[in-house]
Amino acid sequence: MTALHGIRVLELAEGVGGEYCGKLPSDFGAEIIKVERPGCGSPTRGLRPFANGNAGTENSGLFAYLNTNKRSIELDLTGKNGQEALKRALQHVHAVIDDHSADWLAQMGLTAEAVHRDHPALVVCSISNFGLVPPEDRLHAEDLNVFHSSGWGYHTPTGGDASMPPLNSAGRFLPSYEAGIDAALCVVAALFEQTSSGLGQFIEISKQEVLASRIDYVLAQMVAGEMNVGTHRNAFDLTGPAGIFPCKDGFIYIWLSTPAHWKGLRKLLDDPEWMSDFPDNWLERECTPERVESCRQHIIEWLKTQGKHDAAEKAQKLGVTLVAVNNAQDLVESPQYQHRKFFVELSHPVLGSLHYPTVPYRLSATPAKPSKAAPLLGQDNHIDWQDLVTPTRRIRQ
Amino acid sequence: MNGQQRGGPLRGVRIVELTKVWAGPYTGKLLAFLGAEVIRVESEKSLDVTRFYGVSDINNAPGFKAVNPQKLSVQIDMKSKAGVELILSLVQKSDVLIENLRPGAVKRLGLGYETVKNAKPDIIYASMGMHGNEGPLSYQTGYAPCFAALSGLSSLVGYEGQPPAGMNVRYADSTFGAAAALAIVAALFHRRHTGEGQYVDVSAVESMTSMIGDSVMDYLLNGTIETCHGNRHPDMAPHGVYPCQDDEWISIATATDSAWCQLAEIMGSPELARDERFSSLPHRKRNEDILDRLLASWTVRHSAAPLANQLQARGVAAIKSVNSMDLVADGHLWNRGFYHEVTESDGSTRTIVGPGWKMSRGASITLGAPRLGEHNAYIFGKVLGLSAEEQQKLADAGISR
Repeated sequence: MTALHGIRVLELAEGVGGEYCGKLPSDFGAEIIKVERPGCGSPTRGLRPFANGNAGTENSGLFAYLNTNKRSIELDLTGKNGQEALKRALQHVHAVIDDHSADWLAQMGLTAEAVHRDHPALVVCSISNFGLVPPEDRLHAEDLNVFHSSGWGYHTPTGGDASMPPLNSAGRFLPSYEAGIDAALCVVAALFEQTSSGLGQFIEISKQEVLASRIDYVLAQMVAGEMNVGTHRNAFDLTGPAGIFPCKDGFIYIWLSTPAHWKGLRKLLDDPEWMSDFPDNWLERECTPERVESCRQHIIEWLKTQGKHDAAEKAQKLGVTLVAVNNAQDLVESPQYQHRKFFVELSHPVLGSLHYPTVPYRLSATPAKPSKAAPLLGQDNHIDWQDLVTPTRRIRQ
Repeated sequence: MNGQQRGGPLRGVRIVELTKVWAGPYTGKLLAFLGAEVIRVESEKSLDVTRFYGVSDINNAPGFKAVNPQKLSVQIDMKSKAGVELILSLVQKSDVLIENLRPGAVKRLGLGYETVKNAKPDIIYASMGMHGNEGPLSYQTGYAPCFAALSGLSSLVGYEGQPPAGMNVRYADSTFGAAAALAIVAALFHRRHTGEGQYVDVSAVESMTSMIGDSVMDYLLNGTIETCHGNRHPDMAPHGVYPCQDDEWISIATATDSAWCQLAEIMGSPELARDERFSSLPHRKRNEDILDRLLASWTVRHSAAPLANQLQARGVAAIKSVNSMDLVADGHLWNRGFYHEVTESDGSTRTIVGPGWKMSRGASITLGAPRLGEHNAYIFGKVLGLSAEEQQKLADAGISR
């Protein structure tokens, strides 16, 4: 049994945010029908990583990741026939996910007003960088730019050196993934309500706003006038010796903020002399830059002989929040990920049998995960819309 | 007060929060913003650290207020037997329970899933932990940057050839909270149609890995372990954050040859676009060090915002790297109502950070964060149907303190 069984979604989106938004409900069992450009398909098919480094419509690992469980139909939405087919398709789905411009939506008859008038039961979700009506000075943006419009960029990394550029987020698409979560949240919530009220919704997701809302703990204090704002790069930071440090076989992250952490560290390091120079409560009460620097140097020295996983195990047992800085290989080999079956094997006609990352939640009654590899371009072109008739509503009376 | 009047897709859904700090409260906040009635169970004995950290008034803590608008607060001592029973009777009137206490804590309190399920068979019980609720490492604890480090995400952020630097220390809790909210709403959907509740176990570390899924795919597909690469991008060049006047920075991402031509023209060096070293993406990637130096030596003579405008006007993706002052002064965010006013319990107004969405039939968001126990009378009286006398008994026994 899956949670969203019986829900059908039409995915018009062509970017990472929209495709991730579609992937999330598909993992919960919703049927996602992806509309692709005839011939070349979704632009994400042209993005790396490629199997064996070779570009090709069916070779993109990005597309493979984002489109598990989905069906693919080719439709030329620039032409009349395609648009007519789209109109028919809209009769057979509960929701639409899109990431094009306001003008494009208008062309497709999918503005908020048109949806309300012509498809009152339809849930439509639009994902864009700055909302459907971006200001003149934000018409063009990639995820790097959006990240830097949100406040996260300028303040990354923590403790940043003001002479070095602020950094991009992890990977290429973090802003898109973040927006995809909120978009999916809204779509599923809207469907939850729609299946009883019969009424749709028009949802608009702004990537900038999703990112800015993710820093609410700090930003809400700033906008309420309770925390200083300014031009300093460490405006989001916390003080203390926490950070990423090298060890024998990679890197670890250590967090130290309480006397209990300090006590644990003392045991972990076997009560070294230098620690006696520090007051027991210095992390909370007397966290001076000199002490932070000195503490860090001693930790770095100690770490030279430590492996990341061993150090973490020892530290955690003593109540010290020290963890390994993992890479992709560590994840695949992680006993925790293996236990929770985070990776699942799927078979694809071109990519072959591969493991895929799945979802961060385990649902006891309705397990969520991809069960089918991404579709070949147009593999469901002959989908029989008439056969699908009206969407199942599955209302429990 | 009652969720019914605010509208929104989750109107009529009641959620009980046993949460601390940021991630769990963020989950509750998103669901409250979607129209659910979200009740924080709190007590003087085990206060959320954000209610008192660095402040003298627990009802006026800026950090707490930041993550808990539009929620209700009821005081129940969950460390007493009577308190636990009271929480169980509240759960019987609710649809969802969210907890992000330390591993094993809810069980020790007598509020583990099996107990709660006995009291309310169709409850959706969401448990949030660093590594999730089970598995060989689930005993480990950590804060947000630990989630990011363990997930593979931190290893991708940093300057080329240097140790990873990781995202800002604040990153991870809210993303984890959003992933949990999604799973809860999917479970609500299932329950509405089948009557079946369930246990939802959410892992912070896995939530973070999901934000770099394509990088992990590269390893699964080709055995490539990605490392940090500054601000570079395999399919764009120039792609980076460049210095401007007055210690400002500008982000520029050049996705196409034609955008690069425009950029070179604005730089006053159209010949650069024809220069063999920069004429195509592979060439620009090969000579990216020189390219970045040339670009930086030009941007540094300009002020970031006007330069971004000039580049935008010619179709180049460029935006100032905004500092905290820019962010709270962002006219676009104000115009869209992202920052908006709510009413506090004392009648004053306060500006809050709204959600990342707009909805044609969304929930109204009108209230600030609750005072401790602000809704005791409503919860005990209206929701649980306790008489004034019974409520007084609870107060006298210190259960509702």
